[in-house]
Amino acid sequence: MSEKNIIQITDLTKVYGDGVKIKALDNVNMTIGRGEFMAIVGPSGSGKSTLLNMIGILDTPTSGTITLDGVDITKASEKERSKMRNQKLGFIFQYHHLLPDFNAVENVMMPLLINGIKPTNARAKAHTMLKEVGLGERINHKPRQLSGGENQRVAIARALANSPEIVIGDELTGNLDSKTSEKIYELLRKLNREHNQTFILVTHDEQMAEKTERIIGLVDGKITEDKST
Amino acid sequence: MFEINIALRHIKARRRQTTFSVIAVALSVAIIIVSMSMLTGFRENIIETTVENQAHITVSPKENEDYISLYHGLESFIREQEGVAAVSSYYKRGAAIQYRHNVEGAVLSGVRPVDEDHVLNVKKDMIAGEFESILGTGNRIILGSKLADKLEVGIDDTVTVSFPGSKPSDFKITGIIQTGTSADETLAYANLEQVQDFYGKSGIVTGIGIRVSDVYAVDPLADRIDRETGYDAESWMEQSSEILNLLNTQRQFVFIFYLMIFAISGFSIANILNMIVMEKVGEIGMLLAMGTSRKSILAIFLLEAGILGIIGVIIGAVLGYVSCILLISYTIPVPPEMYFGLDHLPIRIASENFLIAGAFSMVINILAGINPAHRASKMDPVEAIHSV
Ligand SMILES: Nc1ncnc2c1ncn2[C@@H]1O[C@H](COP(=O)(O)OP(=O)(O)OP(=O)(O)O)[C@@H](O)[C@H]1O
Ligand SMILES: [Mg+2]
Repeated sequence: MSEKNIIQITDLTKVYGDGVKIKALDNVNMTIGRGEFMAIVGPSGSGKSTLLNMIGILDTPTSGTITLDGVDITKASEKERSKMRNQKLGFIFQYHHLLPDFNAVENVMMPLLINGIKPTNARAKAHTMLKEVGLGERINHKPRQLSGGENQRVAIARALANSPEIVIGDELTGNLDSKTSEKIYELLRKLNREHNQTFILVTHDEQMAEKTERIIGLVDGKITEDKST
Repeated sequence: MFEINIALRHIKARRRQTTFSVIAVALSVAIIIVSMSMLTGFRENIIETTVENQAHITVSPKENEDYISLYHGLESFIREQEGVAAVSSYYKRGAAIQYRHNVEGAVLSGVRPVDEDHVLNVKKDMIAGEFESILGTGNRIILGSKLADKLEVGIDDTVTVSFPGSKPSDFKITGIIQTGTSADETLAYANLEQVQDFYGKSGIVTGIGIRVSDVYAVDPLADRIDRETGYDAESWMEQSSEILNLLNTQRQFVFIFYLMIFAISGFSIANILNMIVMEKVGEIGMLLAMGTSRKSILAIFLLEAGILGIIGVIIGAVLGYVSCILLISYTIPVPPEMYFGLDHLPIRIASENFLIAGAFSMVINILAGINPAHRASKMDPVEAIHSV
């Protein structure tokens, strides 16, 4: 396995349901390199979220293996999985999922605090991250005081707070208008270039997908295309 | 320690709902503290009255014997024992007392007044005359207040005392005693030697009363006297075992009620936590995605139960304390027969009652938090995130 590859997926299959079986992922094989900026596209129900959740260690495969940064996560303990989610992975979802009782900087601090970093250091890092996403002035606002796009920026800052190797986004602009979406994508691209983190983004938006370096197409749980742009 | 931050924020963001559960806990703790303080006060009062109105240890004749002869030796043996504060030998028997056409049954005790006072604190109950007056020359007697009322006699009157098989003797009344108990209807005191003469039994007594320095350490002493002298020595605890058992049974009964009251406040904690957990499904999913361990999720919600509980307990303790103080300062009119001569509620503020009520409440509050907290910690992150 090359050191260049941060993610190695081998014969990954996920079957849902006890009675009627749904094969959400069907023998998927792929490798993702360090610092790649890529998109996963495909029709609804094709298994995009399922694949992302597997990579994000939020769900477990029925068979096959996933190796993240040299560690086989299918064999990892619950504790190791939590630790990897915290340190190696950053999540951005369609809804920002910020904690409503905490303001922007406190939300961004959260993964750092979970990681055991001292509050003063965590606050400084969180502030830096918020500046990077262009919200340096609004750090004390609660989610309900910010717009959808702004909240999504806070969520991005939070996903990047622990400097994870891998950032995954599941339709993270699905709730935003096209102009805001475009800005968010540009932001992600900029962050990807600056920090050399791997970005895996699921999207319905063909135009957005075209802006990434690599597009993986999924249909019925199988990879149907894998093209570099 | 981010867990405590999250727990505090959850509570602060729902101040109105959480206030209700805090009040429920506070009220339950306050009610139980007041109730415990009353029971403790009541119990101590009964014990105090019991201990005050009878000898701590009573030595009676050996089995199949009616008298203690050679009582001087026995008395000095008892005096030498550690923990003995005072000893009083007495000759006590039933007698009939007559004044004009009134005749009443009485229990006539022949005592040495100084000794008897040391053991039973009789002097403070004298409402007329002096207790030592029975030492004077001639037959002298002190009567219980109710007995005197029934005989329609007062100080300086002369009554006739008799018992079957003896010739009646005249005794001059030199004092009236009122203990506040039913004994006042039959009580009669006279000088020991005169009573022994009266019954024609000099040199013997019917019993010895003992006062001890530590009323709760009385049983081993009684046992030792019993064992080493062969006489029957019974402690106040043995004599009052019925009432002590009753008090213990009462304690166990009210404990069931305490549990029920605590259960109500526990439910209110469980209720608010269920509400928060339900509201926070998406947040819990995100926390798990951010790498929060399931143990930390459990801790967050248990902490919330604990924080609400501890605030409730503190407020409840203050409320309970203030209520006790207020109740103590009020004189509540109660029939004296009912409350052993008390004219106010016997409330005793004891720190252990606060500790027990607080600790118990906390245990129940944390228990109430376990189910919702456990549910939160077992959530599937994907489902939780999608639920929003
Ligand atoms: N928890 C589950 N239980 C049962 N079936 C599931 C579950 N999650 C996903 N599926 C099924 O697996 C398949 C793939 O779902 P997935 O969510 O990965 O699709 P997707 O590509 O993300 O779709 P969309 O673009 O609509 O979000 C679907 O048929 C879906 O119904
Ligand atoms: Mg999806």
